[in-house]
Amino acid sequence: MSGSNRLAGLTARPKETSAEEVRRVDDVGEARGFLDRTPRKKPGRKPSPRTHQLHPKVFPKVGEAIAAEAEKLGITQGQLIEQMWELYSSR
Amino acid sequence: MPVIVMASPKGGVGKSTCAVLLASEFARMGAEVTVLDCDPNKSLSRWASHGMPKGVSLLGDIGRSEIVPSIRAADGDGKIVIVDLEGIASQLVSRAISQADLVIVPMQATALDAEIGSEALALVREEEDALGRDIRHAVVLTKTSAAVKSRVQKELEEQLSGAGIDVIEPSLVARAAFSEIFAYGGDLTAMMNDTELRTGGKVDKALANAQSFAEAVYERLK
Repeated sequence: MSGSNRLAGLTARPKETSAEEVRRVDDVGEARGFLDRTPRKKPGRKPSPRTHQLHPKVFPKVGEAIAAEAEKLGITQGQLIEQMWELYSSR
Repeated sequence: MPVIVMASPKGGVGKSTCAVLLASEFARMGAEVTVLDCDPNKSLSRWASHGMPKGVSLLGDIGRSEIVPSIRAADGDGKIVIVDLEGIASQLVSRAISQADLVIVPMQATALDAEIGSEALALVREEEDALGRDIRHAVVLTKTSAAVKSRVQKELEEQLSGAGIDVIEPSLVARAAFSEIFAYGGDLTAMMNDTELRTGGKVDKALANAQSFAEAVYERLK
């Protein structure tokens, strides 16, 4: 098989590429089990690279005391823990 | 120029092999061939990474949203588009079929391949009904024996012909070169002319088989 002349004679048939036609094709495919299998993204928000999240489990009394102290100082519990850590690490 | 789509929801039937052989042969005939690798296994991209024949270009990582615009962009005067699809039943497959001038469904001569491959054939026919136009399609049997035609193969060919399904002759014989080309890159002609290549098979026979297959596909595109 050789010679480009033979190939030059080949033509493509015109095809519809409208959104409506693609939807119709999707419907036909879905009915036969040809589904959208695009990998889904992991659900939820991505963790921020600028912060770190702690989930400490403490006795209720301690938790309440930390919450009350943060409230009194007008800062978040995270900021209070940061201050506590600063004091602890500078001992 | 025509868009040829390799489709079967079953993996390992020879879709990528057909795509590589057709791309190489049509490029050798002087066509500009664009191959769209839509298979997450990236078989064609791996083949291309070892070198591609002159006249062949490859677009990889084509997903469901990109398939229709990618085919449209690659299509043009003097260009042949070959689409290698993933071996699952997906919307990507149904969308690619809708843009085809010829759908080739490769299958091995086994009951399982025939059963799963028939899903692709049924989908083509349903899309023809929905779109109100013919989509030419054909089956090619793959990994067949070079020596004898098995009873199962004969029966399958009879069943397919009996159901009015076009079966491409010749089938693609199980040849080591058809597997090795993915690690070698390029085309079978280059493999055959490489005196340092050590192969477990007969490259000349594989090339003759590929050329006859491409000729049979060409006849269907006229």
